[in-house]
Amino acid sequence: MVYPQHHRQIVEELMTGKFILTNEEHFGSLKENESFYQEFFKLSFDLDLHLKNEYAYLLSRETQENFSRDVSIFIAIMSYELDKDGRNFMEALEFNEFTLEEVDRYFDNSSFIDLIESNKALRDPDSRRTLINGMHRRNIVHKNFEDRFSFTQAHKLFVEFAKELAMKRITAREVEV
Amino acid sequence: MIKAEPRTILSFLHANFDVVKDLFSYQIADGLITKEVYDMLIQKHGHTMNIRLREFRVVRSMGSDYEMRDVYYKLMEFLLFEFKPLLPETIEKYKTSISELYLKIRKYEQQDRDILQERIKNLSHQVREFVDLVERNTFRLLAETRDLKSNPERIEYREKVHKASFWIEYYILPLNRILDVKHSESVTSTILDVSEYANRRRLDFADETVRVEFEKLYSQLVQTNTDLLRQSKVLVNELLPLLERIRTESLILTGWIEFLRNPYKLATPSLLKGTRTMVYAKDMLFKVREFFEQFAQAEYVTVDDSPVDFDKWIFDREKFKANLTASLPVSDFFGWCKNELRKEFPDIDTDKFFALCGLLFDQDLEIEFNNKGERTTLETNTSMLSLPKIKIDNAIKIQ
Repeated sequence: MVYPQHHRQIVEELMTGKFILTNEEHFGSLKENESFYQEFFKLSFDLDLHLKNEYAYLLSRETQENFSRDVSIFIAIMSYELDKDGRNFMEALEFNEFTLEEVDRYFDNSSFIDLIESNKALRDPDSRRTLINGMHRRNIVHKNFEDRFSFTQAHKLFVEFAKELAMKRITAREVEV
Repeated sequence: MIKAEPRTILSFLHANFDVVKDLFSYQIADGLITKEVYDMLIQKHGHTMNIRLREFRVVRSMGSDYEMRDVYYKLMEFLLFEFKPLLPETIEKYKTSISELYLKIRKYEQQDRDILQERIKNLSHQVREFVDLVERNTFRLLAETRDLKSNPERIEYREKVHKASFWIEYYILPLNRILDVKHSESVTSTILDVSEYANRRRLDFADETVRVEFEKLYSQLVQTNTDLLRQSKVLVNELLPLLERIRTESLILTGWIEFLRNPYKLATPSLLKGTRTMVYAKDMLFKVREFFEQFAQAEYVTVDDSPVDFDKWIFDREKFKANLTASLPVSDFFGWCKNELRKEFPDIDTDKFFALCGLLFDQDLEIEFNNKGERTTLETNTSMLSLPKIKIDNAIKIQ
């Protein structure tokens, strides 16, 4: 049997929980062989492959996944603070580079300080650096230098989550009214 | 009928602009000027104000309340640029009036010249009103959208989503349909048809006076088409994307705020739990389990405590050393060992023999090795041993 190009890299990266991004060479091979990989991951590991236009990842059945929650809180607070700062947060998340110092400033002055201090992954600069390194390993952020990073297209999974949440709440309120 | 001179009215408006502006503001806010508000203004500015406002037909009674007359209202709208956006349905009515006039002009163009000229003038007026309304609406929508973007009133994100969606659904998209020249039912496409017709008739109509009217109409319509195209571009390129962005941004922020209210109770996107590389073997767990399982399934063992007859002989070093010392000198140590054991046991046990050999290491004995290589043979219960002859002298070393 002939496996698709970059097969080993695709499997290894996805199985370690990493996102594969549209600008990466093996994304093309994954997209071209979408049905093969859907079946491959389902039959081999009982995992669902999610292939979007800009990123791909494997879906876990584990619901107590703290990493996803920590990342969601991190992006939520960043979005809120960027908007409060008068910046277009969607453009900033998509195109801007952030310094760790800038992140610390936003978090230390945030009105969500109670939530931040109660979260092990966010409560101090060192914890946040560990989280950012974790996001880097998963391809959610790209570390440009030791103290600078930018979000990859994978952050849109979390943005979509926020959008869907808002839609649900707005629809629920309209029904109530 | 107004008796006053136009200059007098303008002069009154100039002198009392703030009063008229206040009346206009109340009219915008409530749709009319309530009796309480009107009385309060009159009380503040004197009874003459009431007389002038009525004499110059600025206001009129509506039951017990008042309203500003349309001409003044429009003047104030224009002067203050305070246009209220009109629903596109209101603007769309111009399609009917323009189409009907166009149809009648074409149908009866060879009949009465005067009515033809009047219809052309009316058509021109309708187009002018239509363009004016579109421009005012676009301007107002742009101002409202920019306000929504800068959000000076700090309205909530959810309210922003609602407002942006409202503007898009009820104003921008219908207005865009009215202005879409590619859409056969749009007002713009009707105006384009009129423009083409006027272009032909300004050149080939038999009557010169009518030709001039067509010429004027054509010039106006050329300008109108340019203006409408510009308005359409503002809608499509600026207003719609801006509102879409406000809506999306606000929607996402609304979602994040909802999430941050209760971040531990909502299910976040499911990611694959990363596997950690261990320094020990990957199958360590299974090996440990297997190891312990062998104890869990141990076979039944019976322990028999019944006494067993076994040799409890213990080597008495002192006794044998005394025997050896008494026998000195001994020419063959291992031969002596054999004889000593034979005194007590019928067979020579290998273990007992080696225990007795331990006397050789006694520091008190003088040992001499036979250089001739003579050997002695000895049979134990398990082995046949070939041993060198070792001599032990009677000279006891004195420490």
